[in-house]
Amino acid sequence: MPQSPDADEPPFLGTWRRVYAAILIYLAAIIAGAYLFTRAYR
Amino acid sequence: MKTLDWIVLVTSLVSIVAYGLYRSRGSDTVDRYLLAGRTMPWYAMALSIMATQASAITFISTTGQSYVDGMRFVQFYFGLPIAMIIISATAVPLFHRAKVYTAYEYLEKRFDGKTRTLASLIFLCQRGISAGLTIYAPALVLSVILGWPERNTTFLMGATVVTYTVLGGIKAVTWSDVQQMGIIFLGLLVSLITVIVLLPKTVSFGDAVFLAGAAGRLNAVTTNFSWNDRFNIWSGLLGGTFLFLSYFGCDQSQVQRYLTGKSVAQSRLGLLFNAVAKIPMQFFILFIGAMVFVFYLFIQPPLLFQHTELARIAGRGDYPAVAESYQRAIDQRRQATLDLVDAHHKGDTAAIEREIAEYHAAQKQIDQARTQAAHMVTASGGEKDFSDTNYIFLSFVTKYLPAGIVGLVIAVIFAATMSASSGEINSLATVTVVDIYRRIRPRAGDHHYVVASRLATLFWGAYAVIFAGWGKHLGSLIVAVNVVGSLFYGSLLGCFVLAFGFRRVGGTATFVGMLAGEAAIFWAFLFTGISWLWYNVIGCVVVVSTALAITYFAPASGASASTARGGMPEPG
Repeated sequence: MPQSPDADEPPFLGTWRRVYAAILIYLAAIIAGAYLFTRAYR
Repeated sequence: MKTLDWIVLVTSLVSIVAYGLYRSRGSDTVDRYLLAGRTMPWYAMALSIMATQASAITFISTTGQSYVDGMRFVQFYFGLPIAMIIISATAVPLFHRAKVYTAYEYLEKRFDGKTRTLASLIFLCQRGISAGLTIYAPALVLSVILGWPERNTTFLMGATVVTYTVLGGIKAVTWSDVQQMGIIFLGLLVSLITVIVLLPKTVSFGDAVFLAGAAGRLNAVTTNFSWNDRFNIWSGLLGGTFLFLSYFGCDQSQVQRYLTGKSVAQSRLGLLFNAVAKIPMQFFILFIGAMVFVFYLFIQPPLLFQHTELARIAGRGDYPAVAESYQRAIDQRRQATLDLVDAHHKGDTAAIEREIAEYHAAQKQIDQARTQAAHMVTASGGEKDFSDTNYIFLSFVTKYLPAGIVGLVIAVIFAATMSASSGEINSLATVTVVDIYRRIRPRAGDHHYVVASRLATLFWGAYAVIFAGWGKHLGSLIVAVNVVGSLFYGSLLGCFVLAFGFRRVGGTATFVGMLAGEAAIFWAFLFTGISWLWYNVIGCVVVVSTALAITYFAPASGASASTARGGMPEPG
């Protein structure tokens, strides 16, 4: 019986849920960095 | 261009096309020609997704956008990582399980034939127009550099892309994209280093960043909210999320990239790589535009960067007064800039504030003179709604970059066009054959559909070239592409939201909802000042709410065949 595609695991962080959470944290850091950059040079 | 530039350009282009065609050997069945036999690794998909989105327009127009408006355009991409996560979690496993060639094929499994046909037609209409704009931008480059008429350069670009896409199919498209992104990254890095090196010796990199900030060009985040403001953090996060959900989840030119993946995990990784890399890349491109602006604080910029239009208005009676006012303001701005750098070195806060005020007064006069010149272009029979934005970076490249680097930057622009355009044409052909033609003639052989796909590719290439002539009437190209997309994406997104999230909603309700969504978007476009970033939100909300209302109030009339049989059929 072929393996379900959903069973594919990410190569890091164990689960896709953790990968998605890491990307959201990364996005928040990027926006915060861009905001500080704008404040620093305006 | 010098001989060295031509050598760099021709070598880059020949190697890209040759490598793509070499890797595309064996694309002799429909599955291999359209989906590469579903064998692509994540990194190839990741770069292909990025390359398909990053057209020459991204490179030419984004730098110009930053020059005139600062870096706030980057906020447009803040919604992209959110969209990628949603698509990875929902669309990717569903499309993989359904083993579809196109996103719209899935809609027939979920709803019915008419919903699939309507979604396919909306895609063909929207992407066909965008494909024209994708070719127009680099044709514009060649036109400026070589002095050829734009229609000749448009045809040359279109013919090159079509030939290579017809021969190689999606494998050629994807592997070429990988190499093209390599050239694009290299070209971006070299461009930034070069513009910084070209600054006066007394101006350090830190001074340049300080000047860009003082000039309001480093406004990466703006928190003020307005429905009519295109680029702020709120429109970026909400409007951007909807736009990118539509683009990466419902647009076959992107869906086809990750349908080629070996597995769900490989496709997800391809998308999530873009979630991580796209914002820094756009930030980098916009920063180059800001540095070009700083460069022109010390070097005399022309009144208009489009030199043929400048020559057209130079003979007008009202030109000398505008040119004189412009020159006076440029001199004032240069002096204010030099004094500002001096005050910055000394740390004299009062002098910094005084010189910034001087600078802004001069900049206001410069902007007024440039606006007057643009009006003179239109009044002299030039382009209606003339926009100089697209010519700024090209003018800088050809005038100031050294031999070899000019060729590299032009190669970047070609590479970006080839990657974006080939992906678009390939997906247009796929939808035409799979969603339209194969339903009319369902029992033909595999070879027949491969030939039909090649002919469809040829057709859409010709269509794109014809529409390319429309590009010059649309102002800033990067904005034009997104406006065109936003007119259609909201309805498609609403359709897929219903498909994935509302099992009780049937085909007829979705079909009517999509028509209502399109009507709402065109109403917003034609009769309101609402920014185009919100069209996707409006369209999606109208489609979903209309379909839900029909399902609630008239469940029998809203049901599709599959719903009538008891809900969504098990895909694949």
